[in-house]
Amino acid sequence: MASKLDKHILKNGMVILGQPMETVQSVAFGFMLPAGASRLPQGCCGAANIIEDWIFRGAGDMDSRTLNDALDSLGLNRSSSVGSTYLSIGAALEAENLAAALELYAKTITQPRLDDEQFELAKQLALDHLAGLDDDPRHKVMLKLKEQFYPQPLGRSAAGDADQLKALTAEKTGQLVKQYFNLSQTIFAVAGKYDFNAVCKQMESLFDTGPQEALNLIELLDRGRKYTHVHNDGAQVHIGLMTATVKPDDEQYYNARIAVSVLSGGMSARLFTEVREKRGLCYTIGANYHGLKEAAGILCYAGTVPQTAQQTLDCIIEQFDKLKDGISDEEIARAKVGLESALIMSSESSASRAAHIASDYYVLGRVRSLDEIKEKIEQTGTDSVTQFLKNNPFENYTVVTIGPEKVTLK
Amino acid sequence: MQFKKHILDNGLAVIGEVNKFAKSAAVGFFVRTGSRDETMQVSGVSHFLEHMLFKGTDQLGPLEVNEAFDRLGAQFNAFTSEENTVYYAAVLPDYLGEVAKLWTHLMRPALRNEDFNMEKNVIKEEIAMYEDTPSFDVIDKGRSLHFDSHPCGNSVLGTRESIDALTSKQMREYFTSRYSPNNITVALAGNFDWDKMAELIAERCGIWQRQSVTRQTPDYQGSLKSERLKKKNLNREHICLISPAVSMQDERRFAASVLGTIVGDSVGSRYFWALVDKALAETATMQCESMDGTGAFYSYIRCSSENLQKVFDTVKAIFDDLNTNSVNGTELTAARNKILSALVLKNEIPMGRLVSLGFNWVYLNEYRSTRQDIADINAVSVDDINSLIGYFKPGRFTKFTLGPGNATPNQP
Repeated sequence: MASKLDKHILKNGMVILGQPMETVQSVAFGFMLPAGASRLPQGCCGAANIIEDWIFRGAGDMDSRTLNDALDSLGLNRSSSVGSTYLSIGAALEAENLAAALELYAKTITQPRLDDEQFELAKQLALDHLAGLDDDPRHKVMLKLKEQFYPQPLGRSAAGDADQLKALTAEKTGQLVKQYFNLSQTIFAVAGKYDFNAVCKQMESLFDTGPQEALNLIELLDRGRKYTHVHNDGAQVHIGLMTATVKPDDEQYYNARIAVSVLSGGMSARLFTEVREKRGLCYTIGANYHGLKEAAGILCYAGTVPQTAQQTLDCIIEQFDKLKDGISDEEIARAKVGLESALIMSSESSASRAAHIASDYYVLGRVRSLDEIKEKIEQTGTDSVTQFLKNNPFENYTVVTIGPEKVTLK
Repeated sequence: MQFKKHILDNGLAVIGEVNKFAKSAAVGFFVRTGSRDETMQVSGVSHFLEHMLFKGTDQLGPLEVNEAFDRLGAQFNAFTSEENTVYYAAVLPDYLGEVAKLWTHLMRPALRNEDFNMEKNVIKEEIAMYEDTPSFDVIDKGRSLHFDSHPCGNSVLGTRESIDALTSKQMREYFTSRYSPNNITVALAGNFDWDKMAELIAERCGIWQRQSVTRQTPDYQGSLKSERLKKKNLNREHICLISPAVSMQDERRFAASVLGTIVGDSVGSRYFWALVDKALAETATMQCESMDGTGAFYSYIRCSSENLQKVFDTVKAIFDDLNTNSVNGTELTAARNKILSALVLKNEIPMGRLVSLGFNWVYLNEYRSTRQDIADINAVSVDDINSLIGYFKPGRFTKFTLGPGNATPNQP
């Protein structure tokens, strides 16, 4: 399971990471630009969402149509997202088109046209997406939950705030692009079939600028409310619950991951068994680890009809609370094999490899090999996970519900 | 890649594509049954039965089933559509034999009353979840409206009432008539030993009794009706447009897939430039869904109530233009390239490959390599697309709108 890592740092400081995969014909790449939702200044909530769209509306000598037709002609499977720290843009494609794709992405990053007229369209779409969240309560409840759980501004919603979005101008947002598309703090990752020397040479020439001054660190403020309810006359109450745990760079990280897997790693895990299989309270129930560099939590979702919302929440909390009272060897063994299998299977995809190496580099300052992760998972056991939970019990829950009825957080 | 097949005496097809370089392997049981094979009295039974297979056999209880899958580190699940129920698992190569053996047990389920009654609650929760997902709900309602009395309009989930009324006896009868070996394909993909796996499946499934299984597959051009449903908790307009398209057995399905991408890919398509780029709609997509003996183009568009009429006018203009001026070579090339790279990416992973492998056998009774699919997509010409547009007239559609307002705009 050896995984080779290529690394190079451009003159301007941009980190270039690569992971070759011998058996694929595809390649995936991604730029992580330090313009995520929490990085941007107060009063600009949602600006990254506008920027994500606006920069593709023309760059350099290419207007919006020409640029997008050129990207499309390469058959790119494009992806973009706004995270807490980074705005990520990238694509997966057939390997022979990589150089042409990088050229277009570099142009988009370094020479976006940022036309006023196009700004209004990008802003309208960001407002529409925000309004559309009202019709997607499962998604909305998780955004609200992170907003309340994390110290501000870490959990700031990528979708934005309607008033702040409306107040943004092309001039102000254009300044944000200039300031936060800081190439010295950008991470670029590529995985699949590629020639690393050729990629580095091309990237040096495409991003031929000097180092930029580092962006200010964000200041962490208070957390939100313990319980938030948003009324919606839908069919279900959508329940989101979160509790703090260790960060990805903590030495107890793998014990935390195993503990979450015991709760929700597979269909035999405790939440699925107790909430769905034994009581038939939910169709969807699950929890997973959610880690940022600065803070981390266990995030849980369940959707249920109003009549059983309180029972469902109580049952979930009981399972979280009970975890520290004991876990069987068999549960630990299943959690370990599940995590290891998922790790190896996700490594078959070039897109997931590229995303993994970039996020590792940001969060840990280095990239973990698959062997290292496997070994760390192997080293966990019933004793280490139980001890971890005694020292770091799951407690102090943050809860958000969306639906026709409230619940009581006891 | 090596293709292998073995048809058992009872009609069960076992097929495999071996890729010794893969890090994982996948197995799928493709049962040719879905809501189109149901009568109104048992609406939702195919999907409910899919849930019940996880409840175990006479020897295995529901919790033991889940534990057995998890012990193997399996990524496993199942899905039910209008015409297929598919059970699958992806595992590390060493565990494929065990996980396949587990599925062979589960394919002869106990269907216990106590599990059946408990699972009714879960099914009704699933129905409620989709009611709160208007992007899904509108397509489901649109499909029923389009297919009208054709069996492809049957609801996969059923309704709360049909689920409440369903008995375990009815489910057992349905199971016996549909889960017959000659109605099931077992597909394997990735890194595995074909001889060993074929022997295992034959040994365990060879004793299953063959039944006579039929399905009616009439073509259907759609009702072309228009309906609107108001829901007070909605904020946006959710629009579903459905027009007839090619079946899975029709060689024009590659051209239809390219046409879907030209008109309705999420970026760079006709919909994108006319609706999304102009901020008239936040989402606008179209794709071809080919089925057994029939098919349909599905569009999903989401916009504000204020823009509803403008969106309908724009959609009309898009299809009028396609009728008059046809597609151009540049958009054809872009669409082909996008489909090809998506195909390559999907087929690099055994689980992705399994789905194509299984469905090609279910619908066509043939093996198609990735290379053959690539060649057929590359062969699609402007003329092929134009002739499809002329034949199917995708601008004439069934329309279902789910939204917050009272307005009933004019037909596009």
